Amino acid sequence: MRDGLEPTTTSATLARLALRLYPLAYQRRYGEEMRSLLEDQPPRARTVVDLLRGAARAHLKPGDAPAGVVGPADRVRASASAVLLCWVFFAAAGFGYYKTTENFGTASRLHPLVRDAHLAVQALALIATATVVLGALPLIVKALAQARRDPSLRRTVALALLPVIVFGALTAVVIAIAHANGPNANGSGAGGGMAIAWGIAGLACGTACVLACRAALFATPIAPDRLRVALVAGTTVTGAMVAIAAATAVYAIAINLDASNLAAQSNGPYQLLSVTASLIVTVIVMVAAGALATVAVRRGWRVEGQLAST
Amino acid sequence: MRYISERSNDPGLLVLTSLADGPKHGYAITVDVEQFAGVHLGPGTLYGALSRLESKGLIEALPAEERRRPYRLTADGSAALEQELQQLQTVTRQGLDRLRVAAVAR
Repeated sequence: MRDGLEPTTTSATLARLALRLYPLAYQRRYGEEMRSLLEDQPPRARTVVDLLRGAARAHLKPGDAPAGVVGPADRVRASASAVLLCWVFFAAAGFGYYKTTENFGTASRLHPLVRDAHLAVQALALIATATVVLGALPLIVKALAQARRDPSLRRTVALALLPVIVFGALTAVVIAIAHANGPNANGSGAGGGMAIAWGIAGLACGTACVLACRAALFATPIAPDRLRVALVAGTTVTGAMVAIAAATAVYAIAINLDASNLAAQSNGPYQLLSVTASLIVTVIVMVAAGALATVAVRRGWRVEGQLAST
Repeated sequence: MRYISERSNDPGLLVLTSLADGPKHGYAITVDVEQFAGVHLGPGTLYGALSRLESKGLIEALPAEERRRPYRLTADGSAALEQELQQLQTVTRQGLDRLRVAAVAR
């Protein structure tokens, strides 16, 4: 029965995943009790909805969170990994922006505002990507060194690498198929479906990678200075995300004002959206990711002064 | 029946009422509330309420029994529950009295 009244294995899996969406303080304080409750009362579809609503409320009202459960070092770890997860979704939107605008070179040459906004997006994307790499590198090196000594961490590190390898292989297959089918294959039919599947797989692999990195980060002892570097990097990336979202919004407005013929063109897999609609969706995802990352870094900075005492 | 007010169904009030006769863990609270109020508290709602009540000092956690942790009312929690129920009782009494008077007048 799938009317939401009877417990199902899918509901149980989704409920366990929903528990992981709770803030760290809730997971540590109530996680075990909630898992025990889910075993006593096998979850239904409405249980999953209830947990998702509870997780959202817990994030929106941090004042109700159990106090003294999460130390400053773990708070900064949680902030850094949250920014990384936001970056994955932001990068997906950024890729959508790139695909939407890749053939708009003429418009960029003719209209200065379109050109400047496009240049700003590209420059900021380079800065943000470099900062993600530079901020994550010391933590990755530390986690790998720790994994050499700690066998229990090796599995977590391997789980972080696996989605990257899977997505790399998937991308190679998609590129090979696209080359075999010739140009313009991604606009309709099997090409459109493949593009959507590739995008969903990318987000799934990115999320899985970040969650495994997060687990490795929490299992690795890290000096306060390195955590501070990660927090500064996270703040820079967040600032870049907000600035890119603003530049993309300017681009969307400028292309509508100066090149309305381009703005009205069909775009994306199956030509489902116009260029304007695609850019609006892109900006919404970018703003949401930037806002969530801002909340995460603010929580990190609140405890930054206490890092030295850990 | 369409509810005019959800005050009596407030998860915090239901949890406090459930704990009024002694400590209970999450599952026991859920079963108890379902029995006396006919309301099913999902785990997200239940632990959201427990967290709010705990942060306000109205309930406190007792040492865990295996994976379950019982909760009990604090003195502040008992006082807050009594005050809330008396307010509800006043409203209930007033409402019923007025309906009775109106029915007689008709």
